[in-house]
Amino acid sequence: MTKEQRLARTFVELADSLVDDFDVVDLMVLLTERCVELLDASASGLLLAGPRGALMVVAATSEAIETVELFQVQSDEGPCRDCFQSGVPVSVGDLTEQTERWPAFAPFAVTAGFRAADAVPLRLRGQVLGALNLFRTTPGTLRRSDIATAQALADVATISLLQSRAVHDNQVVAEQLEEALNSRIAIEQAKGILAARLDVSMDEAFSRLRRFARTGQSRLTDVAQQVIDGTLRPGDVMVSTRS
Amino acid sequence: MSRDRDNTRLARVLAILAGGGRSPGILCRASAESLGVAGAGAMLMVNGLPTPLCASNGVAEQLEELQSTLGEGPCVDAHESGRPISEPDLARPRRARWIAFTSAALEAGAGAVHSFPLRLGGVRLGALTLYEPTPGGLSDDQHADALVMAGVVTEAILSSQAHAPLDTLSPELELLAEHGAELHQATGMASVQLGVSVAEALVRLRGHAYAGGRLLSEVAADVVARRLVLESEHGTDP
Repeated sequence: MTKEQRLARTFVELADSLVDDFDVVDLMVLLTERCVELLDASASGLLLAGPRGALMVVAATSEAIETVELFQVQSDEGPCRDCFQSGVPVSVGDLTEQTERWPAFAPFAVTAGFRAADAVPLRLRGQVLGALNLFRTTPGTLRRSDIATAQALADVATISLLQSRAVHDNQVVAEQLEEALNSRIAIEQAKGILAARLDVSMDEAFSRLRRFARTGQSRLTDVAQQVIDGTLRPGDVMVSTRS
Repeated sequence: MSRDRDNTRLARVLAILAGGGRSPGILCRASAESLGVAGAGAMLMVNGLPTPLCASNGVAEQLEELQSTLGEGPCVDAHESGRPISEPDLARPRRARWIAFTSAALEAGAGAVHSFPLRLGGVRLGALTLYEPTPGGLSDDQHADALVMAGVVTEAILSSQAHAPLDTLSPELELLAEHGAELHQATGMASVQLGVSVAEALVRLRGHAYAGGRLLSEVAADVVARRLVLESEHGTDP
């Protein structure tokens, strides 16, 4: 298979993730491996921002590069980190010349055996999700066509990521909605049970539930569920009003 | 339908949406307006119970209540199948289904009903139901627009819940909880009065409503007001 064919196949593999269920990490690992295969890179790593914005190393083609990526995250320095922050590609032809820019990271990467780095952002419109990084053991800049290819691969991966997050988010919210509604149902049912058993009004029943929950430092929902289950008898929910 | 009428309708809908936010009530009215149907109602399936969320007018509200009471109808099928379900002629249905619902719906003033699932991929919330007083199907445009509207309603519901503090129900959906409140209170009371589980109590309330040709919500109101006390086999109405 020619390089072009392999590249085309990679795009198809990435695009497939848009239609089928896929594992995010698998996709990211695939992306980095293909970059090393098809582009002028000795190693590749991928960083994604977590829910609170902190960068995480999600994929790395070798232990050496994993260590280098981790170091970037921890030292808050480096081409990938800068790429993520700025949202634009970062290209470095010789890391030995970057000790002013990255005083901690540059020497560390050079010691690890890497001399050059290129980072492209995973971004769509205004959102930057992370950075895809290509490292080389010899100095020199990456061919423009390779950078463009890396960016194109990153773009397809970004779309898949965003789509999978949207799906996940919707499911999470739907679950929260269901829980919130179920909780209300339980509370209303428990009010009914108390009202009938203790022969009190709905308001009084609710007061009793609330007071019982507060004194016991339990959640209202939990107390309600216990009344429904029968583990809490209506009589137990009587709170003495005598001071 | 003329282009002018389309544009005027669309402009009115956009005005409603822009001015009033995305509360379910507004979305129901916007659905009816934008789709050019007599009325629209929405329900969420909560714990297996079709729970009315909103309705654009009295008939639509009645249809939602009927489906909740009877536990059957196009909205239930649309929700369960995840596909739009239509009955363009309730008086002469092509298929024998929802027998109880169909006769009650005709009585309420509906000639045709079309239900669209409220879903976003794997997330399924309930259904949006449109009705017309006279028989007829939806045009291709209406059908396509209804699919879009159902998506809008689903997103609005999820989005309003997403902005609610953790463990609470979004204020726009309070209506949903309040509407069901009396029913669930009645379920609790009936479970004590009958000495059965709440699940069984709901079944009995439903049975009582159906036997008496009444809406579940009406029976629930009577139980909560203590005008009705269900006993073992027979209820005692005053």
